[in-house]
Amino acid sequence: MTEKPHDRVPSLKLVGTDGSGVYGSDRAEPVIRDVDWSILMARAQDGDRSAYHRLLQEIAPYLRSLAARRHRDPTDAEDAVQDILLTIHSIRQTYDPARPFGPWLITIANRRFIDRLRRQGRVRARETPLTTEHETFSEPRANLGESTDRRELEGAIAELPPRQQQAIRLLKLREMSLKEAAVASGMSITSLKVNTHRALKNLRKMLVDRSEP
Amino acid sequence: MIKTPDLIASLAANATPVRRLRPPVMRAACWLLLAAAVLTLLAVNQGIRPDLAQRLQEPAFATCMAASLLTGVLAAISAFLVSLPDRSRLWLLLPMPALVLWLSNIGYQCLVQWIDVGPNGVSLGEAARCFATLVLTSLPLSLAMLVMLRYAAPLRPTAVTLMGSLAVAAITATALSLFHTFDATVMILMWNLGTAVLFVGLAGMFGRTMFRWVAPRTFDARD
Repeated sequence: MTEKPHDRVPSLKLVGTDGSGVYGSDRAEPVIRDVDWSILMARAQDGDRSAYHRLLQEIAPYLRSLAARRHRDPTDAEDAVQDILLTIHSIRQTYDPARPFGPWLITIANRRFIDRLRRQGRVRARETPLTTEHETFSEPRANLGESTDRRELEGAIAELPPRQQQAIRLLKLREMSLKEAAVASGMSITSLKVNTHRALKNLRKMLVDRSEP
Repeated sequence: MIKTPDLIASLAANATPVRRLRPPVMRAACWLLLAAAVLTLLAVNQGIRPDLAQRLQEPAFATCMAASLLTGVLAAISAFLVSLPDRSRLWLLLPMPALVLWLSNIGYQCLVQWIDVGPNGVSLGEAARCFATLVLTSLPLSLAMLVMLRYAAPLRPTAVTLMGSLAVAAITATALSLFHTFDATVMILMWNLGTAVLFVGLAGMFGRTMFRWVAPRTFDARD
């Protein structure tokens, strides 16, 4: 990769403290308020929290516009912005107020973008995202083999006496608790247990009989 | 995911005053002072090689010493410069002329005056003492370099570790030829080139991990 960082870096413009045209309509051409930011950063290094807060708030939109050029996904871009802010925080000692702020900021930002793009490249090379097709195939209903089993079982259940049918449907297929099933069917718990037991015994017999010949 | 305005607020709330780094050349000078101190202590302890004054008369030996020392100094300056975000990466080229001079000088010595084994042979005791010098010089210097360069960890870890280890290697090689007598060319090769390759290789393998230990942390665990 031939890297020419200066080609991608927006032109540096020094804007006075009046801040005219900083957040103008032209969002594609962000402006570095170098002098302002330099002063704010110097004060932040001395522990001025409000200056630091203002600085981070002002550079965030600028970083976002830089990030938007590198990352298509807006969540990715926002992640990258946060990554840069964290890096700035952890190495804010390295800024020298005698030097311009723009190049310092842009180098850090570019490092983070490149790191992030590399990481994404690695992930893309080794991982396959889970698509709806994968989901469908893991769903039991989509699998043909199980669906024939299911049809056979349904058929067997349909041949049971009605009370046993109801008991097995509520307790085993819909997986209700005994209490819920008792409320839903109007049968007592004991009768549900007995009917389920008999239903299972009958089903076993029927299914074994069918599979044997 | 935490929202960006919230992150900014928490970072701002966490903004304790920090001490600005001194100019890179001054920091390099501090490190070189430490190197000088280590070499002096070793010289007091082990004694300089007996034939140093005589050997320094030879242009080949003197050039070799000067070049390795210069490589160390320039590589240290380069490492401290490159560790800052707003300095050009072209500073990496700073020690290259000295490095080329040093290596080509060794190569030239190999070509012209290859000595298999010196008159006294190669003694294991001397090799062991050489190794002791190597460890005693390089260990404190590497650790100091690592701690001083910790702010480079999120930026250009590879380039900075390479330069740092080159500085350590060159200073160590200088120390070795100050304190120990090598007659055999193989020994010269081994202790000069071997040291350089050893440190640059070690840095390449473990540099990032080591940096992760000393890297400045933001208040929350990120990885």
